[in-house]
Amino acid sequence: MTFSAKHLVYGAALIGFALLPQLITVKYYLHLSVLALVWVIAAQGQNLIQGYTGYVSIVQAGFMGIGAYSTTLLGLHYNLPVWLTILLAPVVSALFALCTGYPSLRVKGHYFAIVTLAFNLVIFIVLMNYSELTGGEAGITGIPKPGSKGGWLNFANREVYYYFVLIIAVLMTSLAGLIVRSRIGQALLAIRQNETLVGAIGIAAWKYKLFAFVAAAMYAGLAGALYAHYQSFINPDVFGLAQSLDAILAVIIGGSGTILGPVIGAFVVVFLPEYLRFADSFRLILYGLVLVLATIFMPRGIAGVTSDLWTRLTRRAA
Amino acid sequence: MIEILQQIVNGLAIGGVYVLIALGLTTVFGILGIAHFAHGSVSMFGGYLTFFLVASLGFPLLLAILVALLIGLVLGVLIEWLAYRPVRNASHINAFIVALGLTMMVEGLNLEFFGHEQVVIPTNLSRIFDIGGVTIPELRLYVIMAAALLIVAMTLFVEKTKTGQAIRAVAENRDAAILMGVNVKTIPMIVFSISTALGVCAGVMVGSLFAIAPGIGQWLVVKGFAVLILGGLGSIPGAIVGGLVLGVTEALAAGFISSAYKDVIAFVVMIAVLLLRPQGLMGKS
Amino acid sequence: MKLGVSFVTAAMMLAGSAAFAAEKTLDIGVSDALTGGAAVYGLPQANAVKMAADEINAKGGIKVGEDSYKLNVIAYDDQANPTEATNAVRKLIDRDGVKFILGFCCSGATGAVASFIANEDAVMLVGNAAERSITTREIPNLVRTRPPADYTGAAAGTFVAQKGHKKVAVLGALDVGFYASYVDAFEKELNKAGGEIITRESFGLKDRDMTPQLTKIRELNPDAILVVGYVEPAAFIYRQATELGIDVPRYGFTSGSEEQFLRVATSEQMEGVWDLRPTELTLLSASENGKAYHANYTAKYGIAPSPSSPYAYDQTYALKHALEAAGTVEDTAAVAAALRELPVPEEVVMQYLPVGGKMFDVNGQAYTSNGAFQWQGGNWVFVQDLPSDAEAYSKFLSTID
Repeated sequence: MTFSAKHLVYGAALIGFALLPQLITVKYYLHLSVLALVWVIAAQGQNLIQGYTGYVSIVQAGFMGIGAYSTTLLGLHYNLPVWLTILLAPVVSALFALCTGYPSLRVKGHYFAIVTLAFNLVIFIVLMNYSELTGGEAGITGIPKPGSKGGWLNFANREVYYYFVLIIAVLMTSLAGLIVRSRIGQALLAIRQNETLVGAIGIAAWKYKLFAFVAAAMYAGLAGALYAHYQSFINPDVFGLAQSLDAILAVIIGGSGTILGPVIGAFVVVFLPEYLRFADSFRLILYGLVLVLATIFMPRGIAGVTSDLWTRLTRRAA
Repeated sequence: MIEILQQIVNGLAIGGVYVLIALGLTTVFGILGIAHFAHGSVSMFGGYLTFFLVASLGFPLLLAILVALLIGLVLGVLIEWLAYRPVRNASHINAFIVALGLTMMVEGLNLEFFGHEQVVIPTNLSRIFDIGGVTIPELRLYVIMAAALLIVAMTLFVEKTKTGQAIRAVAENRDAAILMGVNVKTIPMIVFSISTALGVCAGVMVGSLFAIAPGIGQWLVVKGFAVLILGGLGSIPGAIVGGLVLGVTEALAAGFISSAYKDVIAFVVMIAVLLLRPQGLMGKS
Repeated sequence: MKLGVSFVTAAMMLAGSAAFAAEKTLDIGVSDALTGGAAVYGLPQANAVKMAADEINAKGGIKVGEDSYKLNVIAYDDQANPTEATNAVRKLIDRDGVKFILGFCCSGATGAVASFIANEDAVMLVGNAAERSITTREIPNLVRTRPPADYTGAAAGTFVAQKGHKKVAVLGALDVGFYASYVDAFEKELNKAGGEIITRESFGLKDRDMTPQLTKIRELNPDAILVVGYVEPAAFIYRQATELGIDVPRYGFTSGSEEQFLRVATSEQMEGVWDLRPTELTLLSASENGKAYHANYTAKYGIAPSPSSPYAYDQTYALKHALEAAGTVEDTAAVAAALRELPVPEEVVMQYLPVGGKMFDVNGQAYTSNGAFQWQGGNWVFVQDLPSDAEAYSKFLSTID
């Protein structure tokens, strides 16, 4: 893809997202779009560690949970304004990521994947059992919306919340783009390709890996906070292993190691099960089959395939 | 003292199941470098099938297990052939995603064929032994003994037979194995057959001593991977030691520390081992 | 047609037959766990709603004013997951134009929907979900057929205390809120009589080996044990307790059917176990309605109904009578108000204790009687009513915010 064509795609996508609420007639799809945008943020974070650094982390939903419970509990117990707790949520999840990332990044490949998976399970069990704080399985209800009552923006309106999340998703996607193009991003890519070599030329790979892991957690924490204030209800079921796998899928299906990939992937992950509902009880089988086939025949994801096609088309045209 | 002994005996049964699951995972990992996430669901398929043959078609238990083993084998080999082989040379992330997709498919099949109610394979073994104050039901004892037998058989197979040595050679150094004339094309099939066979046995044990229900397979495979971390990825002795350690740790944690957090404690032990010995208890550094 | 009411004129379909009143279709929604671990509770509930709807349709439908409506059930799977449940209900309301939503077997998913339903033009009828907080906020357009767990727990505590037990060991799915609240209420009543809970052991949803917890309990020498949790793991506790030689009285709160227990344990291992729970469906205690329900359900679906599935069946009849009383299928506020004024309909299966003559109290909560059931010779036998006071509990529920 040429430089200008790329910008054209970004511009078109932005306009498309901005117009989406006006095009949607059935509000249900607006609701799903808000959820998909929340997942865009989480998937952008996952992409930093999985797509760019090459470390599969299976704890993204767990960090979303930490973000969601942080913003909720800080608001509940310290009476802080919602916008502040939303900003604090990624900080809290970053702290957790620092503590867990430091030991777990000492191991590579599958070891790392399984250790992070264990972290997700631990987070889930603690959220379930520490019910004095978290309300356990029954969860916490009545989480307030951002903005004051009678303010000029009504965040209880789904359209308003859509634009709110859209702006944050665009910001976070741009930030991910900046990180990737910076020196740090180059180092991450180098680690993905050959970590030993990176170490050999005197770069402290662990610092960069830890950075990617913590950044991923901050994205997740923010996404979790936005989720909590949108749904006004959280319980541990939303932050389990299955949701962490969804984050991985979003990156893979969309196209790992690309900036548009997680955006596409997040929408696929939220909307695909919806369109597979016709299959009724065969939904799970079909969903699995789509995954297997997509990974075998489309290993670089939707973004990868489109970009390949584009290159072929433009080459032929030239 | 009796309480501690009783708790260790309690942990042995589930520990034995963990070992069998982990053995299947670790051999596949050693040879193919794949985290075979669908292993738990395939194992449960074997358990479900045994239940179906016994409860609905009236097969004798041993015959049912044999049939389930054979059909399980076919499923395992098909999975290797159709799903894992195409991503052999892709990054391990892709293989992992394929494994996830397979897990959903097999879970979906189980749900479609066998329903959502939990099933228990009927055995009619209800005697209870009392050995110096430690009680152990007959069925539980047989499960532990069967697990021990399978573990010994597996160890002998890998250590003593030609095929077993070839498998170990490929696991240790693929290129050298090719040079030594090992047929690396058939090895994955053999490994998947063995792995699935052990898994089906584990499924039958879970299904008779405990129960099979939706989600149990995934829960077991997570435990299996924890065992692999404990013992060392790809290590067969590691899977044996790790599985027993995990099972007994869980029982002791539930009995003496906190039953609500027993899984957390087990995972903390796993992470601690990883920090002290990143290659696992039995892995080579 | 996104109006929810699709007009199928009978005259067009049954040409020639003199049908003067228009026959219309009313869509009602079900959000419940149709797959996954909780499907054991959710699927029978969805089936029960469909069965009730078929019965109502066969008897001429719902008569609202001049019109009669045939019910059409749209059921979506929420997998007992809060996000999925929100999605399912959003879709029912936004896309399918449904105004009446039933089902709801599980507390987490139900709590998520309850958190926003007050702002919607819809009525929500909750079934098996037992978490107390669902009806403490007096949501005007929400009612629930199953009583909260602590209402039953208190009655159970009194019963066990009357049996003279002092040291009770608890083994339960205590990470699940309503099971914990059952135990809390149980403990309060037990303490009043001078008894105490000597340990609270926990197990997870997927656990089937509870011998470690039971071994610990065995060492503590309790007078009795109390088992609270879903039937699948609970059945293993009863079996493993006998295997470990624990021979103190076993009490429980599990609501499993005979079939579900016998799959795991022998009848001898179950002998003497008490189940202290709402008087849900059991073969031996069932009323005439209950027997008919059991027979019809078994004939229709080829499997016995779960004991808690009538909560959803009863929702459907409560909705029918409320719609007829309100005289509208459009004005959800009127229907919600009519629900709270409703006497207990005669078709219901559970044995409701009306509060002030009404099925649902001001909180939208219905109460059944609680019963002590005992396993005797292969069956759950109803032994006696548990001392439960619906009026008093209703007042207490109103004081919680």
